[in-house]
Amino acid sequence: MATQQPTRRQLLRWTGAGALAGVAGSFATSCGAGAPDDETTADAADSGGDDGTFTIYWNAGHAYEAYEEVIKEFEEEHGLTVNFQKYQWDDMRTRLLSDFAAGNVPDLVEDAGWAQEFAISGDALSLQPYIDEDGAEMGFPDDWQPTTIDRNSYEGEVYGIQLHLTCVLPFYNKAMFDAAGLEPPETWDDLLEVAKELTGDDVHGIALNQDASYAWSWMLQNGVRYYDPETEELMTPRDAAVEALQFQADLVHKHKVAPVPTPGTDYSGPQKLLSAERAAMILSGPWDLLPIRETSPDLELGIAPALRREKQAAVQAGTSVFIPAQASHPDLAWDLIKRLTALDVEEQATDEAGMLMPRVSWAESSAVQDNDQYSVFAKAFPYAVDYKEDLRLTGKSGEIDELFDTLYQDVVMNNTPADDALDAFLSEAEQVLAD
Amino acid sequence: MSYSDLRDADAAVTDDSPPPARPRWRLSMSRRYALTAYLFLLPAFAFFGLMFYGPIINIFGNSLRTGPQADTFTGLDNYIQAFQDQAVQNSFIITLIFGAGTTIGAIVIGLGLALLVDQPLRGRVVFRAALLVPYLTSVAIVGLLWRNILDPQLGILNRVLDSLGLPTQAWLNTHPLATIIGVTLWMNVGYTMVLFLAGLQGIPEVYYEAAIIDGASPRQRFWRITLPLLAPTTLFVSVMMVITGLQAFAQAYIITGGGPGNSTDLFVFHLFNVAFTARDFGYASALSFLLLIVIVAFTMVQLRIGRRGEVQY
Repeated sequence: MATQQPTRRQLLRWTGAGALAGVAGSFATSCGAGAPDDETTADAADSGGDDGTFTIYWNAGHAYEAYEEVIKEFEEEHGLTVNFQKYQWDDMRTRLLSDFAAGNVPDLVEDAGWAQEFAISGDALSLQPYIDEDGAEMGFPDDWQPTTIDRNSYEGEVYGIQLHLTCVLPFYNKAMFDAAGLEPPETWDDLLEVAKELTGDDVHGIALNQDASYAWSWMLQNGVRYYDPETEELMTPRDAAVEALQFQADLVHKHKVAPVPTPGTDYSGPQKLLSAERAAMILSGPWDLLPIRETSPDLELGIAPALRREKQAAVQAGTSVFIPAQASHPDLAWDLIKRLTALDVEEQATDEAGMLMPRVSWAESSAVQDNDQYSVFAKAFPYAVDYKEDLRLTGKSGEIDELFDTLYQDVVMNNTPADDALDAFLSEAEQVLAD
Repeated sequence: MSYSDLRDADAAVTDDSPPPARPRWRLSMSRRYALTAYLFLLPAFAFFGLMFYGPIINIFGNSLRTGPQADTFTGLDNYIQAFQDQAVQNSFIITLIFGAGTTIGAIVIGLGLALLVDQPLRGRVVFRAALLVPYLTSVAIVGLLWRNILDPQLGILNRVLDSLGLPTQAWLNTHPLATIIGVTLWMNVGYTMVLFLAGLQGIPEVYYEAAIIDGASPRQRFWRITLPLLAPTTLFVSVMMVITGLQAFAQAYIITGGGPGNSTDLFVFHLFNVAFTARDFGYASALSFLLLIVIVAFTMVQLRIGRRGEVQY
């Protein structure tokens, strides 16, 4: 049977119709990505959408079973499907900023101290109305460590609730210290002496992190402020900042008691060295407890109080949860925040992963007080400092942090004199602040 | 019915009957052919328009604005800032060095490997496949792999050097740019080898036979026959490698984080940080647009120079 050839006119019609359908389809798809209330679009399920899907962005290392159980209960009670998306911090930030630009945001976000920044830019929802209604019942703010309130507030309103509260303290290999008859150091001088004693045979006395935020333990102990809002100056007093930076560089290049940190985005280098018994001491936080326990179950890990120079100080860290301003389900998100920050859930997460929590009642509980490791952290909370708090309020912390990364790497990795590197940092950072 | 039949039919109508009043909207045959061609091209235009040209126009629009949402119009301020920004200039120079290193390396090593595997060696098929595997592997995996290999304390490379009694190296601290160029070459040379191999196998044997009869040495045959006749392949490889070199991102993002200092702050990594760390989408868009102009300019110059050098025997 002969097949009828299509005429040229038919070909033209079909091509035109196909092209129009293609254009219209692509256009509709691209527009649909920003239409969260379209129940049929796949993208609505991929991010926050008003289609029975509730989207959460969470740090990949914090997806504990304790939280998964809470989310499961929440899902069942509200008849929702929870889209629990896990990211590394950098990837989450990239995704989140793209979502803000596209107007297609998740319902709830665990953040690495971004709540203030997003409050300033109008991307985070004020939680104050919810707190006014439910705060007393959930114990907020009275049962939260006082330092965690300011870091999540902007212009008198709360935008984020602290989920985890951590700080950076010296971790050490007890067996190595015992074998050398040494006690954990209390001051910088002690540390240098101990590190010199323990260095040798393929082991370094201490391993510094490539991540510049760890440098702030030393800066804070030497009385340095990142930004003084009254004088609008950075890194004051300057001499103390130079001394703290140079001390770290000297540990590596002059005293050779620490390996040169390797540049990169991975902050687990020192933990791996401690676990492999190639470093006797590191500065770290509770996020490394589980990896050390898993990779080196026989390692006798000791955690010491923060060192002192001008004063005793530690870098405060931790995460918060916030609701994006354009979230589709803010009331439900608040309900989930209350569940996730309940004391019993905090205790389960600590039990499961060794994570530290912001509730005062958590720090005072016998489970924490009777634990050698958790109790050291709990005692450090009062002197732990959020060194970026004032800088964040300028809205320029991202750019200045990048410059600080360069400063730290120049001094500690490239052995540039701290005095010169700090001058270069200040000239660029002051320009950023002035713009 | 074919196009020639249609043409004949049209001609018949014209010849046998008085010319009918032609409707005004009716197009001439040549225009109808052109229209047909354009309609066939429309899906491709639509795809490129929506996926490439639209975003480029959008990025240009954003580059004239500033602020976290890129919503404050500032005209050409971002472009003026880019030309005065030391960090941008530093990043651009680093990227040029990276692009030059990866392009020249990929051509020289790729061609060398292609000449090697073009010989009748035992196991050459396996060798070819093995060399191509890194190119088929995700750059993220390659980055993580090499980060672990190069780790100065726990990496396998220093362990091997140490066991051989050789001094260990802090590769990513002492020569970070050269190291990421090396990693990129490790990944790309398999691909350029395949391209050169295809080019080599396209050169007719008769040229070599004639040259051998004329007493040409292997070196003369390489410089006078192989290299000139590979000019189109070399041009293609160099254009592709320059483009990918100038657009490189993952090497800095995964392996070095742009450091130490800013020594591996590749241009795309720099503008990524401007967008997602400093949250200045307007300035990042201006940097992206400038990079596009640079890449287009490089490509045009390369094509112009390359085509001039093409040889036909």
